[in-house]
Amino acid sequence: MGRLEGKVAFITASGGAIAGATARLFGAEGAAVCCVDIVEENVNQTATDINEAGGKAIAITCDVTDDDAVKATVDKTVTEFGKLDVCFNAAAYSEKRHRLAEMPLDMWKSVIDVNLTGMFIVARHVIPQMQAAGGGSIINVSSIYGVVGAKERPAYCAAKGGVRMLSKSIAVDYAVDNIRANSIMPGPIETPRLLARNPSIEAVIERHGPRLHQKRLGKPEEIAQTALFLASDDANFTSGADMIVDGAYTAF
Amino acid sequence: MGMLDGKAALVTAAGGGIAGAIARKFAAEGAAVCCVDVNEETVARTVADIEEAGGKAIARICNVADEAAVKTTVDQTAEEFGKLEVVVNAAAASEPLHTVANMPLETWQEVMDVNLTGMFLVSKHAIPHMQAAGGGQFINISSTFGHIAWPQRPAYMATKGAVRQLTRSIALDFAPDNIRANSILPGAIETNRLLARTPTIEQVRAKMVPLHPIGRLGQPEDIANAAAFLASDQSSFMTGSDVFVDGGFTAV
Amino acid sequence: MGRLEGKVAFVTAAGGAIAGATARLFASEGAAVACVDIIEENVKKTASDIEAAGGKAIAIVCDVTDEEAVKAAIDETVSAFGRLNVVFNAAAYTDPLLPLHELDVDLWRKTFDVNITGMFIVTKYAIPHMKEAGSGSFINISSIYGARAAKKRPAYCSSKGAVRMLSKSVAVDYAEDNIRANSILPGPIETPRLLVANKNMDDVINRHRPHLPAARLGQPEEIAKTAVFLASDESSFMSGNDCFVDGAYNAI
Repeated sequence: MGRLEGKVAFITASGGAIAGATARLFGAEGAAVCCVDIVEENVNQTATDINEAGGKAIAITCDVTDDDAVKATVDKTVTEFGKLDVCFNAAAYSEKRHRLAEMPLDMWKSVIDVNLTGMFIVARHVIPQMQAAGGGSIINVSSIYGVVGAKERPAYCAAKGGVRMLSKSIAVDYAVDNIRANSIMPGPIETPRLLARNPSIEAVIERHGPRLHQKRLGKPEEIAQTALFLASDDANFTSGADMIVDGAYTAF
Repeated sequence: MGMLDGKAALVTAAGGGIAGAIARKFAAEGAAVCCVDVNEETVARTVADIEEAGGKAIARICNVADEAAVKTTVDQTAEEFGKLEVVVNAAAASEPLHTVANMPLETWQEVMDVNLTGMFLVSKHAIPHMQAAGGGQFINISSTFGHIAWPQRPAYMATKGAVRQLTRSIALDFAPDNIRANSILPGAIETNRLLARTPTIEQVRAKMVPLHPIGRLGQPEDIANAAAFLASDQSSFMTGSDVFVDGGFTAV
Repeated sequence: MGRLEGKVAFVTAAGGAIAGATARLFASEGAAVACVDIIEENVKKTASDIEAAGGKAIAIVCDVTDEEAVKAAIDETVSAFGRLNVVFNAAAYTDPLLPLHELDVDLWRKTFDVNITGMFIVTKYAIPHMKEAGSGSFINISSIYGARAAKKRPAYCSSKGAVRMLSKSVAVDYAEDNIRANSILPGPIETPRLLVANKNMDDVINRHRPHLPAARLGQPEEIAKTAVFLASDESSFMSGNDCFVDGAYNAI
């Protein structure tokens, strides 16, 4: 019996490494998963992986900054699976490295739009469904850069700090509806996206120096396991929390 | 001799309760202050107060979310005073109470624009002047609600959490330019804005004083004193910090 | 297949409600559990519960502040079960409610002896065995009062703040040995100990409002479930984290 048996999960950015791993794990633990991403090919792949492994998944292509599209996607999930009680909000975008004074306004706005407003938009449409289902769990992916600073990423840092408080706001306002909301703050995770910004894994480890105490990057599956805990009833008294999954990066 | 003798400062929302007190304090400590607000009447009053007390101030009407207007205002301040070293980012929207699910997207966007993008724009255009001056200080007004949650303020809290991280990003990226950036997180401060949501100050006090171990609401001057410290060379090793001025609100 | 299959756990205060629930859940997930407590009757009960349910446990009576006794208890665990992988550090002293100036230094020392020095001693003697096992996980019970102050509990609050930093210190120093350390910060949990200072559970809930938006206390099992996650390999990139399990207490 899976730890998410009978639950229906809505997962944004699930064509990506972290949310993709999360979608597959949720599927393997018995949840029906709506895989959402802006890139059709990737999200179809995740849903196919889940279905081939014997799980239940659908793929929907959707831009989380498009309010109407998100509402339609949430509605479709509920039509397909009958309800919605878990939401993993991971859609994010990072600016090219810029110090603040050199960053164009539209670059700033696009990061805030995807990383912060996108989470708001998803939350506003999944919450009524969770209320109808008698409760739910919202898991918002922030970052250690929602807690400590990162060089040359002002918009990303600001957005991720915003995510952290958005989760707490939802936790407080919807506790009466049995809806929980928590943030996960991943440290550096080994994903294709990270490698697109860096020459090699070794270079990333080198750059983070003494803060990567385990001398390795995290794996997408390690974030997925944390999300599984938060999505499951094991975390019923955990709400408004910051789950830092960073190999002690921010402890140092 | 004042703490801020010879400094040139720009204070946004200087027509308001908290930033108005900061502008008056800065001027009293010897700084030349550009008082910025969208409301002509209130900002004129702050400038008149400063001039009556023998201080130096100018008023500028500017919407901080309007990049062209911000650039003009910042450049004119530096021209008027010969330099610009201190910026207090205090402009914030006062949105009606909403939970995530019932907040209109337009309201969310407006709060993002003023509280967050406005701070980005003022900072962006002030930094070159600080670099030219050989250094500078940002004092960004976050809130205790950038740290802990409160009912029905999702957009406000998201932006205030974001402000703390934007501040750290500036602190990190511009430390080599001798620019410091710190956040102030005020508790409930007795201003007219508090009365926007509660009819009388007595009602506000009845609700909020018990949550502040110090046994009273904060006064705008409490924040002004902290801001003056952060603007002065007394705080020269402080950067990227969260300064709580909250009468113990978040300690319990 | 249990989530802790093949692991050996050392659980202090296992005669109490929270650690007792944890010991039982660890065992039902496949761990062999050394149940440690200063009160013989209670700890024997926990161990016999586990054995009656088909699990593996031994009971050890031990005062965690007694270095020799702790060393012997850990040695006994390793000789009974062959190794040591998980330590759940929960022993804490129930200090009387007193403001600081009325608190005897002896009571202060007693609280620190049990709550933090005891944890140091257990950790010190467990580490060599974890190194030998090739990995390990410490789960240290702090409290929301390690993050927020409680009235008239200066020693308890300080010691619980100390627990968080001890965990982070261990996380950083032993990461290269693949040993992780995290704190759990429980909110008010429905245990007999709560009734020492309160008339009944409703009284506790009322006293803690507005910090309990779901208007309920946590259950010992909810802490136990979090501990299973932290003890298991599911949390392999989590170290140095403060895991709040508090029904959003610290979020507001």
